[in-house]
Amino acid sequence: MHTIPIPRTALQPMIRAAIACAALALAPALVQAQDVMNLLNSLGSRAGGTSPGGLIGTLTGNNSAPAAGQGDDLMGLLSRSVETIDEPHEIDIGRQLAAVLLGSKPLYPDERLQRYVNRLGRWISLQSERPNLPWTFVVLDDTGYNAFAAPGGYVFVTKGLIDRCADESELAGILAHEITHVTQRHHLQAMRKTAQSGMLTQLVASQIHTNGVGNLVASQILALGRNLYARGLDQSDEFEADRRGVALAARSGFDPYGLPAALQVLRAAAPGNPQFTLALATHPPAEQRLDQLRQAMGNRLDGLSGAAPVTIAQRLQGSASAAPAVAAAVAPATDAKPAKRHKKK
Amino acid sequence: MKPGPISRALLAAAIAGAALALPAHAQQDASVIQRATELRDAPGTTGASLGALAADSPVERTGERKGSWIKVRTPQGTAGWVPMFDVGTRASAAPAAGNAATSGLRSLGSLFGGNTGTTTATSTAGIRGLDAEDIANAQPNPAAVTQAEQQRVNAEQARRFAGAASLQAHQVAALPEPAPPASTSAPAGRISPMNENISPN
Repeated sequence: MHTIPIPRTALQPMIRAAIACAALALAPALVQAQDVMNLLNSLGSRAGGTSPGGLIGTLTGNNSAPAAGQGDDLMGLLSRSVETIDEPHEIDIGRQLAAVLLGSKPLYPDERLQRYVNRLGRWISLQSERPNLPWTFVVLDDTGYNAFAAPGGYVFVTKGLIDRCADESELAGILAHEITHVTQRHHLQAMRKTAQSGMLTQLVASQIHTNGVGNLVASQILALGRNLYARGLDQSDEFEADRRGVALAARSGFDPYGLPAALQVLRAAAPGNPQFTLALATHPPAEQRLDQLRQAMGNRLDGLSGAAPVTIAQRLQGSASAAPAVAAAVAPATDAKPAKRHKKK
Repeated sequence: MKPGPISRALLAAAIAGAALALPAHAQQDASVIQRATELRDAPGTTGASLGALAADSPVERTGERKGSWIKVRTPQGTAGWVPMFDVGTRASAAPAAGNAATSGLRSLGSLFGGNTGTTTATSTAGIRGLDAEDIANAQPNPAAVTQAEQQRVNAEQARRFAGAASLQAHQVAALPEPAPPASTSAPAGRISPMNENISPN
């Protein structure tokens, strides 16, 4: 047996290059595999009450890294079955996702409208399966037609959607749809799926030029949140939110046909109308949603649809006189600042 | 002076922009009957029939609705009531609605693919709603969340609102789940390039 004489000086760079190549090629796969392993491992390790290394440990290569931010055990939590995420953590995740949405559009600067939507939404949420969440309803200053939710009870509607509601029952139907996404934990399921698929590292990497967030965990949540709201939920979750939302709105005393009426507005939107683009891109076709509701509803709820329609403008006028009294009676010490246009960069 | 090719292109772009900026309701009258039905003089099956409406016949919505019934007008000028679910839009018959969705997703894919130089078609229209680009560039604003949380109301306030609005809670059974729609084509919301590695359910 003989060796091929290669000068040592030539060999070393070659080996180094080969190792580097292999490392480069393997790195993404390794990181992803470790993500999943860590996520799965933390299922067990969390039970012992230790601080989860989770993703931050994997990605920094330092499992004993001190908590880099409030979010770090959120990522560990996502590895677990969604049912085991306790309510405080769910609200914490929701809060961070809400910050992403409010980072894309500000609050609509009309406190009266914000309070009205909060009363309306809170009333509907009281008839839901989770009446005791700290429900927060937000009107976004946007001309588009859309609505969103985040875990823990955050619900968003755009001003453009409110303006296009022919009556209150349409808004009630939309809010009931979003409330259902929260009660059924649809967003947590979707985030968990993304985290487990190994897509997370790619998402974080692809957003490095825009995330501007110092800490890694914060940028992971940010990446997940942006992905979630731009991509939308599973189709089956949307159909479920429609179906349960209709029943929830009816339970709350509203005309059950408000949500189908709102979906007809969405369906009638001209293709390419930029006010509707995101809503259409992130949901099943409105035609399918209407057809699913037609089949689910039949004439089961027709007995509940007799109420005369009330427009949002009428309701706002009616509550205008009562509003200050209610606010004063219940919240004597809140620092109710006048709603200012929030232009935070 | 004769318009050169560049100014013609600019003009075309301006017209396209203006068309996109039209209010939504301008296009909402393109309604057609989806399933053959009766035009009735009052909402509900007890309303007297004013005549049959064949599938695909055009109608114009008046904007009035009573429960599951909406008021429409025929091209002949007869106004009456039809079941909401029997009325569709012309666009919903063609796959046009899907086009809007896919074009939205195309821009979405490029946003997350790191292609920073891409401008989406929608952002050139002048007026547009919150879109994937806004979300892709969003920086978290926790201060706004805190502000929003100050607008929360408690259960008692909500009940008082409902009382003033004569809203009453009802017992309503859950609705049955219909068979999912036939998956003839890749539905919107599922065909983003980002979804390829995520097994849908």
